[in-house]
Amino acid sequence: MNKGSLYPKLAFQNIKNNRKFYIPYMLTGIIVVMMFYIILFLANHEGMGKVYGGRYLNEFLSLGTIIIAMFSVIFLFYTNSFLMKRRKKELGLYIVLGMEKRHLARVQLFETLFVGLMSIAGGIACGILFSKLSMLIMGKILRFETPLGFSVSVLALYVTAAVFFCIYLLIFIHNLIAVGKAKPIELLQSGNVGEKEPKTKWVLTVIGTLCLLGGYAIAILVKSPLSAITLFFVAVILVIIGTYMLFTTGSITLLKSLKNNKNYYYQTRHFISVSGMIYRMKQNAVGLANICILSTMVLVMLSGTVALNVGMEDILNKRYPADIIMTYNDPGDGVVDAAVEEIKAFADERNVEIEQLDVVTDLSFVVSKNGDEYTGEKTYSADTSRIGIFDFVTTDEYERRTGEKLELGENEVYLHSDGFDFGDSFTLFGQELHVNGKLESFPREGENSAMILNVTGIVVSPETFDKICDLQREAYGDDCSNIKSNIYLDIEGTDEQESEIFQDMYKELSEKVSGSYVTEDGRTVELTFYSFYGECRSENSSEIYSMYGSFLFLGIFLGILFIMATILIMYYKQLTEGYNDKERFEIMQKVGLSRPEIRKSIHSQILVVFFLPLLTAVLHMAFAFKIITKLLALLNLTNVTLFVICTVCTIAVFAVIYGIVYALTAREYYKIVSQ
Amino acid sequence: MALLAVKNLKKTYSTRFGSVKVNALTNVNFTVESGEFIAIMGESGSGKTTLLNILATLDKPTGGEVLLDDRSLLTIPEKQIAAFRRDNMGFVFQDFNLLDTFSLRDNIYLPLVLAGKKPAEMENRIQPITERLGITKILDKFPYEVSGGQKQRAAVARALITEPRIVLADEPTGALDSHSADALLEIFRDINSTGQTILMVTHSVKAASMAGRVLFLRDGEIFHQLYRGERSKEEMFAVISDTLTTMAAGGDRDE
Repeated sequence: MNKGSLYPKLAFQNIKNNRKFYIPYMLTGIIVVMMFYIILFLANHEGMGKVYGGRYLNEFLSLGTIIIAMFSVIFLFYTNSFLMKRRKKELGLYIVLGMEKRHLARVQLFETLFVGLMSIAGGIACGILFSKLSMLIMGKILRFETPLGFSVSVLALYVTAAVFFCIYLLIFIHNLIAVGKAKPIELLQSGNVGEKEPKTKWVLTVIGTLCLLGGYAIAILVKSPLSAITLFFVAVILVIIGTYMLFTTGSITLLKSLKNNKNYYYQTRHFISVSGMIYRMKQNAVGLANICILSTMVLVMLSGTVALNVGMEDILNKRYPADIIMTYNDPGDGVVDAAVEEIKAFADERNVEIEQLDVVTDLSFVVSKNGDEYTGEKTYSADTSRIGIFDFVTTDEYERRTGEKLELGENEVYLHSDGFDFGDSFTLFGQELHVNGKLESFPREGENSAMILNVTGIVVSPETFDKICDLQREAYGDDCSNIKSNIYLDIEGTDEQESEIFQDMYKELSEKVSGSYVTEDGRTVELTFYSFYGECRSENSSEIYSMYGSFLFLGIFLGILFIMATILIMYYKQLTEGYNDKERFEIMQKVGLSRPEIRKSIHSQILVVFFLPLLTAVLHMAFAFKIITKLLALLNLTNVTLFVICTVCTIAVFAVIYGIVYALTAREYYKIVSQ
Repeated sequence: MALLAVKNLKKTYSTRFGSVKVNALTNVNFTVESGEFIAIMGESGSGKTTLLNILATLDKPTGGEVLLDDRSLLTIPEKQIAAFRRDNMGFVFQDFNLLDTFSLRDNIYLPLVLAGKKPAEMENRIQPITERLGITKILDKFPYEVSGGQKQRAAVARALITEPRIVLADEPTGALDSHSADALLEIFRDINSTGQTILMVTHSVKAASMAGRVLFLRDGEIFHQLYRGERSKEEMFAVISDTLTTMAAGGDRDE
């Protein structure tokens, strides 16, 4: 045989003989390459820039590219480590048969080359094939027209090939070093090293439990949406640490304490399961914790982004309570009335039918809390627990929003707070206010709904409202907030028409109701951009669609990636478990356990091992639920029922996929065990 | 009444497509009386392991029958066969077959746990056996922490703890150094002296010379058998060696 062709042939033969391990490895490669290409293709597609809010898209997709690249490295290294573990014996044999390490390196080079080329080429081919489809899906989610025709991004092609070439090169180097360091005899015997029984680690178990409980506690106890942002990450980190610790040490502590309970342990059902589980957990804990964390990420991402998109109408209506909103800051006498007249005249002239026209007034400003005293805050310190926003409305306004009539005397309030605790009374700028009652909720609208500080909504009588206005003006001086008058206008027409009318109306109003005027307390106010501005729902909606749509798109994309990773880890786990259990299975049969009994015992162990991560993920999700609703509230989604439905659906779909994967991989397992 | 009776036992293996048939056992007949220590000898491929697997109910014969206490093993329903094996037979294997996830104690307890015995009863039973075998101190160690001889003694303890009708041993000294092998054979003789029936398959002359009776298996048949009678270990060793030499030279059967 020609010596030059020996190594490629040997490499090819090796891959063929180990196809049970190599096929999933190559599939992983193909899928990650494909996803990387697609997301890069989308990020660089010319058509994307033209979409409303395309900049969100670009940012998100670029972020996605980096995330996928990172996970690709992790997944490929992970699968590779499985392969290497399985193949050490084989490599040892080659050395014993007289191959030098440099010859082995050549075999490995060809193996990596073969796998790498197949994965990159296959991945890019699939990527090109599916790029159009993902473009269409994205267009559907983001509500834009996708350009016709089929295109290939040369840039994406080069970048994908280069990135994955580097990744496979790294893997090759890693394997070389691993084999180079090992002694032949170690390689040969690597399969038969006796497993030590793991020790109980109480300290780590306790720390893990505390981390997990801490994370859960934060998630449940968090009050204001703003603190939710920072605390969410703290909670996530605590839960991740807790999960890893409890899977690795907690499970063993639990099992060993079960083992020490003789009456429990020495029962046919528990005897084999408990001792088997100790070893299974020792070998698999990290992998299972990985599955758990990945599953949780999938659940959180998908349920959140799906809810956002399904609830899009809600969100828009909340952020933009009317088709067109014209806002005056601290308008003088008659300014708003003049504007309303002007709007009506404009509508007549343009033949626009006005469906509804409302004037809405409220006052909101920043306060600083000190016990039961609230004062002005000018320094904007970073201590968000003390800072909040008071949003005052009159009883009339409250009735308009909710249809509920509240009776209030002087200095009496009803309130609802996201962050502060209130007693029976409190003082604001030195004025004592009595809390008549707490409201279940406070309907915020428009701009205030986009606030990230904790907001306290307060309802007062019109007289008290005026008094608060004056007090606030005194306290803040030139920095004072103003009463805001919003003209809410609903009109007939399509989105484009509304947008056009808005533009013209805005121009008209700024020209006609402008200049300067004198306020009640004698100050002269210039009508500037700050004191008068307008918003149009249909004009801004595409930006919101684009932003939330890219969330969803990325969510789905990463979801698929994580699900794939989960499948992969499960498959390899089942395979390795199978080879490990084969021998044990035979011994038990000889000692007097019937086949069905063994099957039952092993089945229950595997069931626990593989569904533990799913159950834990669902538990994490349940605890995270409240903090996620807070975060979604920041994005204007307050429809908790909708989020519940989305979460339950996501979990159901995920559980079904998980179950299918389990069933398929379990079959592979039984095939190995009963050979 | 014989404890174990093997009558006209046949076992034929066919290749996957059934074209080639291999006779592992052609016609085996023998009986084992209660309290006997029997060694079955034969070269590789003589059918020793097949015979033992059939006796252990791990395999089924193609013809003939095996009776334990006058009950045919073939009539035991599939569902009860594991329990039957557990209650009536103890096993000692060449490669110990201890589960590495269990401590020695739990390995020995395994058959009792499967039979649903209480922890207190198990403790009572393990005590005298492990003392006799000298492994009381290492009971809480794991198989990978102890020597081959100790592993095999634990395996013997596992075989004895159910107080089986018969102990089946498959090359029990095969994986042991000569010192451990001698010690193990002494143990076998010791437990046999208390009335335990033992059937051992081996090709070690030394191991066979401990037995009360030696059966020689060749080409799937009992070729010859030897009773110890009043012979000493050394005399027995010599006679077995001679017989094996005769067999290897292709001699006809004699008695």
